Amino acid sequence: MRHPTDGTLRRLVDEPQGVADADREHVAGCPACLSGLAAAERDAAAAGAALDVRAALDIEDTTDVDAAWRRLSSAVAADGHRRAATTTPGRRWRTALRSPLVAVIGVAALVTGAGAAAAADWLPFFHAEKIAPVTAPQADLIKLPELDDFGELKVTEEIRVRPVESAAAAAKATGLSVPAVGELPRGVTGTPSYHIGQRTSALFTFSADKAAKFSADRGEPLPPPPPGLDGSQFRLNAGPGLAMVWAEGRPVPAMVVVRAVAPTAYSSGIPFETARDYLLSLPVIPDDVAAQLRGFSGDGTTLPLFMSAERLKSAAADVGGHPATVFSSRDGTMAGVVWVDGGVVTAVAGSLSADEVLSVARGLRVDR
Amino acid sequence: MVSRSVRADLEEVFRATYPRVVAVAARVLGSREGAEDVAQEVFLTFGRSSVPAGEASRWLAVAAAHTALNHLRSGRRRASREEAAGDGGAVGPDVADAVVTLDERRRVRAALARLPRRQAVALVLRHSGLSYAEVAAALDLSPGSVGTTVRRAESALREELNRHAPSD
Repeated sequence: MRHPTDGTLRRLVDEPQGVADADREHVAGCPACLSGLAAAERDAAAAGAALDVRAALDIEDTTDVDAAWRRLSSAVAADGHRRAATTTPGRRWRTALRSPLVAVIGVAALVTGAGAAAAADWLPFFHAEKIAPVTAPQADLIKLPELDDFGELKVTEEIRVRPVESAAAAAKATGLSVPAVGELPRGVTGTPSYHIGQRTSALFTFSADKAAKFSADRGEPLPPPPPGLDGSQFRLNAGPGLAMVWAEGRPVPAMVVVRAVAPTAYSSGIPFETARDYLLSLPVIPDDVAAQLRGFSGDGTTLPLFMSAERLKSAAADVGGHPATVFSSRDGTMAGVVWVDGGVVTAVAGSLSADEVLSVARGLRVDR
Repeated sequence: MVSRSVRADLEEVFRATYPRVVAVAARVLGSREGAEDVAQEVFLTFGRSSVPAGEASRWLAVAAAHTALNHLRSGRRRASREEAAGDGGAVGPDVADAVVTLDERRRVRAALARLPRRQAVALVLRHSGLSYAEVAAALDLSPGSVGTTVRRAESALREELNRHAPSD
């Protein structure tokens, strides 16, 4: 009969009952297979020694499970608060806006726990042509008001993200080209899964009463709104978008590549500049955040990417001639890069280094 | 206090499986402190998931292996900091008797990081006590090919460790 495979010989080492009788009998009388079995035993023992560090061996006896449970409980509670703060009714727009557009932020939140940072809103008047980081202490980002603190927010086209079978299906559903990825970083393997989100849209109506009440609750008087702002309407659109996800079943993807139509916003009433200047003047917006937002070009083309100063650091880079923002977690567990090209936001992120995400970003090929 | 959005069986599963999940991560990271961090991260994700209770133990082991391997890849600087700090007693007082020295552990981690992901996970899970059937289910392999994958991983690990062994 044929010799059993190396895999069968390996299983004979530590799970012989899983090997067929015929194979076992063959090996017992076959010098070549016995030699292979001995080699498998040696390698298995060496690997066992290499992996069974004393720390791992002792852990099952000495771990303080009670202390570990208390730590997890407080992490879960903190996580629950962050989630509650981002998913209450009327806050869906923010979630909607960030899910398909900058899914990278979802990854950042997952990997770094920076949910609160990622949840910060951006001011709603854009035709995004570039992205700039706004870095602030997490406490300040949490304090940023939501759109629905200043009026009524009605989501007119809900965000729906769903998996699709193939790159071709993703391209067809979104009208966006699916980028071809050059060389994958080490450790990122297999084929990606594809996800798409259709366009999402919302209508925001400014309410002077609601804004005044919100400010009063925060103990800050609301400066009088400029004429015409009360009742003004703003339409916000974002997407469609697509994501390629290299996850292979693990809870945190190794890498994601996202492309999405950048957000745009339209004002039905007063000029954009008037609304922006007023919102930035509000005492409820932390000074450091307002200063950074004010520093943008002022033409409503820069999409702020809010980052927690404690958890993330950012740097400027260049991807194919477009200014890009590279961000990485201070604990070194993840990095991402995001840029805008022709009204399309592209992001690459994952459990990678900044150099690795930049290398992938610069190697992307997009057919137009 | 636990928020209501968290699965009801989290504490029960946690208490039953936490040491084992830490041990899986420790096999990859060679450090107890890092392994406990990985385990916390994995259970936090698990708490929000709807993984069936019957599959929890296996899911957690796989997630711990993947997450620890991700940390290996991305946490090289942190790993070197931990080593510089003497690893906080993870090895214990009888360090001289430790099967694997710090330097060897560093080489093991480097070798694990270079293995194809599937081989690395199969190797860690098998050496963490998962059966061939469990490893097969976790990695979507046939039970027959688990042996092949683990064998290749062990062979590659030996070659990597030999190649990078100190020339003494």
